[in-house]
Order: sequence, then structure tokens, then C-alpha cells
Amino acid sequence: MMYTLFLCLRYLTRKKIVVFPILAVWLCVMMLIIVNSIMTGFVNRVRSAGRGLMGDVVIQSRSAAGFPYYAQIQTRINRLPQVAASTPVVNAYGLFNLPNFQTSMGVEIVGIDPATQSQVSHFGSDLFWQHAAPLQTAADLAQAQFPASRHSLLTYAQARLKKAINLEEKLRKKLVAMPVITPTTWFAAIRHHWQAIAREDWENANYAVDRSFRDLGYLRRLPAHSTFASDAALRRALVPAVVTFKPPAQARQHYASPTDEPANGCIIGVDLGLYQKDRFGHYHRPADVRFSPAILTVVPVTLRSTLAMPQSRRFQIVDDCRTRVFTADSSQVYAPFKVVQKMAFMQQQDLLGGGTRPARCSQIQIRVHGDSSHAAVVAARRAIAAVVRKFVRKHPRLQDAGLQVQTWDQVQAQYIRAVDNERDLITFLLGLMSMVVVVVIFLIFFMIVRDKTRDIGIIKAIGGSEIGVGTIFLLYGLLISAAGALPGMLAGVEFVRHDNYIHDHILWRYFGISIWNRKIYIFSHIPDQVDMHAVATIVALAILAGLVGAFIPALIASMQDPVEALRYE
Amino acid sequence: MSNLLELVDVRKTYRIGPAEIPVLTGTSLAVARGEFVALVGASGSGKSTLLHIAGVLERADSGTITFDGRDVSKLSRGRRHALRNSKFGFVFQLYHLLPELNVLENVLLPAMIQANAWRTLVRAWPRQQKATAILEELGLSNRLRHRPNQLSGGERQRVAIARALVNDPAILLADEPTGNLDPRTGRTILDVFQRLHRDHHQTILIVTHDVQVAALADRVIKLEDGRVQGA
Ligand SMILES: Nc1ncnc2c1ncn2[C@@H]1O[C@H](COP(=O)(O)OP(=O)(O)OP(=O)(O)O)[C@@H](O)[C@H]1O
Ligand SMILES: [Mg+2]
Repeated sequence: MMYTLFLCLRYLTRKKIVVFPILAVWLCVMMLIIVNSIMTGFVNRVRSAGRGLMGDVVIQSRSAAGFPYYAQIQTRINRLPQVAASTPVVNAYGLFNLPNFQTSMGVEIVGIDPATQSQVSHFGSDLFWQHAAPLQTAADLAQAQFPASRHSLLTYAQARLKKAINLEEKLRKKLVAMPVITPTTWFAAIRHHWQAIAREDWENANYAVDRSFRDLGYLRRLPAHSTFASDAALRRALVPAVVTFKPPAQARQHYASPTDEPANGCIIGVDLGLYQKDRFGHYHRPADVRFSPAILTVVPVTLRSTLAMPQSRRFQIVDDCRTRVFTADSSQVYAPFKVVQKMAFMQQQDLLGGGTRPARCSQIQIRVHGDSSHAAVVAARRAIAAVVRKFVRKHPRLQDAGLQVQTWDQVQAQYIRAVDNERDLITFLLGLMSMVVVVVIFLIFFMIVRDKTRDIGIIKAIGGSEIGVGTIFLLYGLLISAAGALPGMLAGVEFVRHDNYIHDHILWRYFGISIWNRKIYIFSHIPDQVDMHAVATIVALAILAGLVGAFIPALIASMQDPVEALRYE
Repeated sequence: MSNLLELVDVRKTYRIGPAEIPVLTGTSLAVARGEFVALVGASGSGKSTLLHIAGVLERADSGTITFDGRDVSKLSRGRRHALRNSKFGFVFQLYHLLPELNVLENVLLPAMIQANAWRTLVRAWPRQQKATAILEELGLSNRLRHRPNQLSGGERQRVAIARALVNDPAILLADEPTGNLDPRTGRTILDVFQRLHRDHHQTILIVTHDVQVAALADRVIKLEDGRVQGA
């Protein structure tokens, strides 16, 4: 049967028409890989952001008034071997008022303990001034000479700043000098595009200047005679070990006298509307937002689920938090646990008739040990639920609270499932469209088989069997789809790997097209990870499509009567 | 002399809808080993049909076909393919070469079909030697890598003969091999047949209109009204 392979290789190399099915397979494979990878990357980011928001397992009450004895529950579940850390959270609704900006808005006020919260969720690393910005500084200085002293780093950073300012100045001049004459609308459109790009370059340079200033600020805060062996050591020195609500010393200069300064800090969600976001996903933080006074008003809910007297208090904004879950970032303000608890009337209270009412919280968030695979999280949830059930049985007050123990993805099921569904739907629809490949191969093979009627007769006359002739065309289909699928795979994978570059530098720069607008998306980069399992599946399906498309023409060819075929003109 | 190929009372009728076209009405024919037989007859008299039936390309409605002492009219499909491949060599009026293959590849194709995967690899070289030798004998040694559409009609027909010979067939079945050629070129093709017959004792059954051919043959059979006349 070697002759079948030989013949279809000859047909493959000596028939021009095969470029069309090869091209069709190529494009479909490329398209499916790109779409699947980007959607999967998007889903993964949504999932990891969702998980980073609240740890692995959450205990919460159905009542807005929360549940008591959380400290005892915590001690019991902390004893479980699966549990790595746990932290109580108070959720309350209220108003966020910024007197300096004449702004107020309804927000969700979240009372947390920053130290334990950072152990449970991503909270610590989601903060800008306490985490992301010092990390950026360390990255900006990674090219400096190491080992480095504080002094040499400052010199390096100053040189960088000077360079950034020069560039900004140059771009600004260029922007101002852009031609203003617009003879035709066509020219106007081009000019508009180039101006947009020039403005963007300038804004980027602007951002670099801001960033360089920030680098200097962080460096100045380092101890006077410190030296660093490597950029890793510098990173350790810059990024504080524990995050806090406490305003740093420099905050004081924003207030006329120490008595004006609010006692507590609060942390705002990054998408609350106080910052501008540019096309690259950079947030532009106006200088006066940080450390500005803010008034938080909490509306407490009583145990009978009625509203109580609203409680207001002065805070100052010390940081912003970017969890990448838009609903959280656009509506939450974080404040110290004890403070919010008290404002929401959830603290321990002495009752008039004697005795006390125990303190309450809204949630206990828990992180599970190890890699926290899905199975591990589910198993931990079961163990925690058992502990909670046992505890509730002993405490009648808790029985009304309706405690639920859920994994993070159960809590966010609707949101996550929606994104999951979207990905599956799009992949399915595109897969359906890719069926066109089967049709293309079928049609072209049908043509080839008709065209080759006489040849089929000859092959049979000199002893080729039905199976042999059928095999030629099946193999042919297989080779064609493989010849399309493999370059399609390479092209798709390379495209996904460089999609951000292609988007920013090719589509936008040369064609003025912007598809992934970072002003809108939560994530600043287009996902560029390729799932090799998905790629293998797509390639296998494409090759199968070649076989399916070739099947009927191959059958027709194999049943061809040789004499009739030889008489065929 | 024993008969290599023998057809006894072969009948064939084509049906197109209600119309019946009786082509062969009890035809008998025998070709002895080493014999050169010419089959003549008017156009449409059924010569090609008879040749196809003799070469087990087509089945007869009734009658027996004996090849080398064996009844081959009731063989299975697979056996018929194998028989055609190894015992019969076909030459057609319109050459019927595969346009995607070059001369050498066209000639090698029946040998490749005959071989299984193992033999394809092991015997590739000797087979190629043999094909080259045949082509050389037919004066085509400098055209091995050419494609059929780069050859003249006479050259193409010689390639087709080489292809028919590559598996050492017991009998050559040729259907008007000179029908598409000018008399001079036809003459060279006939020389080839004649040489094969004289030097290699090749058994040949040739369908022809050409009186030259009939003159070369050991025996001429005339097909008329679906029967062999004066056999
Ligand atoms: N598949 C078929 N269906 C119907 N009729 C057919 C078929 N094949 C051949 N015939 C008929 O059978 C008859 C004999 O055909 P055949 O090709 O054997 O004649 P021939 O003697 O070879 O003629 P020529 O010398 O012109 O080649 C013709 O009348 C032809 O119309
Ligand atoms: Mg004929």
C-alpha cells in the first residue's frame, strides 16, 4: 500500500488547487487557537482575581446583621490541618464623602484586619502605594549597578528622571508643532490619528516622569547608609512586610495641624471613579487624592433587620486597592475592622438588663494550605463545615444566623459561570463556523475526484484495488489538513504570544484600530498564554475534519468502475 | 501448444434504461502462449469490450474465461486486481499515463502496487533498475524525469508499453495502440510489439484497424455481429 502514500504525495506537490483547502484549514486552526487562548486567559484571570478577593473558603451569614462568636469559630477552624489562615470581615453599606472634591457616593464599606487579610486574600499585593508602586520602583532600578548604595541608586534614578523629562518635553513640542492645515476630510482623519498617537506618546512620557518621581520618593525613604547586594534585596527593602491603614509620616504635611488629621486611614477601590485610566490601562492618580480627608457614613442593621441611626466618621485615604474584580473595585472602600464593626453596631455591647451581646462579623474568610487545588479546597470546605455545624449545635444564638460555608467559586458562582459560559459559547460558535473547512475539503475533493476519473480507471486497470484507491484520497485529505493545521498552529501560537505587541504597535500605530481598550477592560493586557491541551485538540479536530471531508469523495473514487472511467473523456 | 487465454461463449449486453445493446453474442477466442493475435472488426463491433473482458477489467454476462488453465471469470474482486497487476499488461489508444507522475514513476507504478510495504523498501533499487532498463530498450533513457505532457504521442505510447511490461506480464493486451498516431510513428510502435514477440516470445493480443498490424500478427481474428468470424 506504499503506492497510495506515493501517489497522494505527488498529488499534494503537483496540484495547485490544494492550496485552497490548506489555506482554509490554516486559517480556521489559527482562528480557533487565538480565540480559545484569549478567552481561556480571560476566564483564568477572572477566576484568579475572584479567588484572590476572598481566599479559598468563606463562612458567612444570611443575615445582614452578621453572626456572633466568630473568634471562637476561628480558633476551632484554625486548628484544622488544612487551614492556613483565617480573617473576620465586616460588610456594611453607606456613603463615601470627599469634602475636598464635593463628591459623595454610595459604597460598600468593608472592615478588615489588614495583616490577617493579606494572609488570606491578595489584598496586600493589590495595594498600590504599599505594594505595586515600590515593586515598580525596584523594577525601574533593576538595571542599576549592583551592589548599590542608597546614594548610587538615587543618582541613577535622578538620571532616569532627567531622561524622562527630556523625552516628555520633546514629545510635547512635537505635539504642539503638529500641522494644523486640513485641506480634505481624508487628510483630517489621518491627522487626527497621528495626533492621537502623538498625544498618547506624550501621555506615556508623562507617566514615565510621574513614575520616576515616585521612584525617588521611595528611595529617599530608605535608611541613609543602606546598601543592597541585588535588585532582589532592594525589592525586599522597598516593599513593606505588613500592610496597614496607618497613614505614613509624610501624610501629616497635608493637614494644617495634628488635630485636623483623621485618626484612621481608609483604602479605596481603584475604579471608584477618582482616577483616570488611559488606553494602556495606566491609572492616573491625581496628587491630591492620596491623604485627602474622607467621611464614611455607615447605616447599621439591627438584629431585627431594621436600620439604625447612621454613623459618620472622618478618615483619610491612604492607599488604593485593585483586586481586578470590577464590581469590587468600583464599589468598595476598606477601613479597619474594629472601626467598621463599631460603626455597624456589631461590636460587643453591654445590655441594660445586665450581660453582654457578643461581637459580630459578616464573614470569615479562610485560606487553605498548599497549592489549594480545587479538590483540596472542596475537601477543606467539608472539614470546616463539619466544625461549624458542631459549633452551631452548641450555640442556640447561631442557629438563627443561617451560617453557610462555601468555597470561593460557590460564592461567585454566577459571575464566574457567566464568563465560563461565554468562552464555551464562543469556541462552540467558531467551531461551528469552522465546519466550513469540511465543506471546502469536500467540494474540492469532489472536484478532484471527478477530474481524476480517468486516472482512477488507470490505477484500477493496472491492479489498484478499491481500498487502495480510497486510501489515496483519504490520505490525501489527511495530508492536506495536516499541511494546513501545522502552520495554522504555529501562526496561532505565535499570534497569541505576541498579541499585545500586534495590538498596540501594529493595529493601533499603523491602522488606528484599538480593539482591547484598557479604559474598559479590568485587565491591562490581552491574555497571551497558550493552553497546549486546547491546541492539541484543535489540531486533532482539524485533521479529523480533513478525513471527514475527504470521506465521501474517497468512497466515490473507490467505487468507480474502471472501464467506465477509462471511457470517460 | 497450450492456450494461455481462452474465452468460451462469452456474452455481453449493455442496458441503458429499456434499451438493450447486445455487444457480444457468444464469442469464443483462444490465444496460445507466445502467440501474436490481432483482433479486427468494424467500429462498435465490441473489440474493446472483448479485450476488457479478457483482461478481467469487466465481467461478462455469461461464458467462461480461462487463464493459464484456471477459470478466472468468477474470481473475487481482490483476485482480479492482483491478476491484472501481475499477469496482464494493458496498452490503450490514448496512452492513459498519470500526468502528475514522471516517466519513470509511471512505469514503476504497477510494480509499486504489486509490492507490499516491506518489499517496496527492499526492492526499490532493483525495480528501478529494471524499469530503467525497459525504458532504455524503448529508447527513452534520456526522458526518465519528464512528465507525460512533455512527450510526443509516440513517446507516450512507448512509456505506456514500458509500464505494461514492468511486472513481466504473461500477456500484453493492447487496444488500438497506434490509433492515435501518424503512420510513421505507428510503425515504430508496431516494431516494438514485433520485437517483443520475436525476441522475448511475448504473448500479445492486439485490437486494431490497421492492416499493417494484421500483417505482422501470427493470426487475425475478425469480430462481426458479436461473434468471431473465421477463427
Ligand atoms: N458502458 C456502456 N454502455 C452502453 N453501451 C456501451 C458501453 N460500452 C460500450 N457500449 C457499446 O458497445 C458497443 C461496442 O463498444 P466497443 O467500445 O467495444 O467497440 P469497439 O469495437 O472497440 O469500437 P471502436 O473500434 O470504435 O473502438 C458500442 O456500440 C458501444 O456503444
Ligand atoms: Mg474500441
